[in-house]
Amino acid sequence: MSGRTQTTALADLRATRAFAVLTLDGRKWLLPQAEIQALESLLDIDREVRIPHSVGAVAFAGEWWPVYCLSGELQLLQRPPDGRRACPLLDNGADRFGLVCDQVETLTVAPRLLAPPACMALPDSPIQALVLLNDELGCVTTTEHLAALLAAVVENVDG
Amino acid sequence: MAESAAWVLALDHQLRAAVGEREMAHLIEAPTLLEVPRSPFYCWQVLVWNETVLPAMDLAAWLRGQPMQRQQPLAGVFAYQTRPGADPEYGALLLSGIPTRTRVDDDQVCALPKQPSSWQTLAISCFRQGDQPIPILDLPYIFSGGLL
Repeated sequence: MSGRTQTTALADLRATRAFAVLTLDGRKWLLPQAEIQALESLLDIDREVRIPHSVGAVAFAGEWWPVYCLSGELQLLQRPPDGRRACPLLDNGADRFGLVCDQVETLTVAPRLLAPPACMALPDSPIQALVLLNDELGCVTTTEHLAALLAAVVENVDG
Repeated sequence: MAESAAWVLALDHQLRAAVGEREMAHLIEAPTLLEVPRSPFYCWQVLVWNETVLPAMDLAAWLRGQPMQRQQPLAGVFAYQTRPGADPEYGALLLSGIPTRTRVDDDQVCALPKQPSSWQTLAISCFRQGDQPIPILDLPYIFSGGLL
């Protein structure tokens, strides 16, 4: 992503009022709250509906939504680790899927988004901004970037 | 003959480098480092400084091409400008010891060390201190993503 595009994306995210915090293996990932379509339980996942590399699917709004499992480092996992309890359904109008998480919270205060340092931004990184959450660091991403990452990971696994 | 002041930095137990006297802004002993996923092996942590986050760059790891284990981390905060007149920006380098101040004359200029060969990517010049060549770091290049 070019520096200019990244700056634009950061400006768009800074205009976002509410963020959800998705915890994966203790690591906090922030997404615009508006991209969380629904919050399901892991019990709602039908594991018999096998979409490649998913852990199952959730029936919602008359459709099957594939559900994926990612580590805290966003590596694709074949099955949810212990401790995963929530399954937010993400929808940005173009990409729709579920993600099993340890927990999902809503930030009550708009966080101050910090640009990721240029020397850390690998070209395919889904991290669009960093946020200080008390003594922890949160990484801001979007459904679009997670979808792109999933597509790349799946292609890598299949390739 | 022009003379200027510099800080000599211990990047690890062996590797040394220098920056200009005014480029070092702060030294932090035992910094709190926060991990950033999906980042390069030589710069996978940030530290909080003045209400922002700074990349914590391990140049020894980059030069040696592999992650390093650091027992008692020390971080220097360094200022740099990406162009003349621009506001200063900041980044951190992980260090193995307290920097030492030195004075450098033009007649100390020397060639970059042959090993590691990647010094030529990081350094804008080099001077000799005793028997040891000390590369001078190109901080804007390092912190602006030149190593990616």
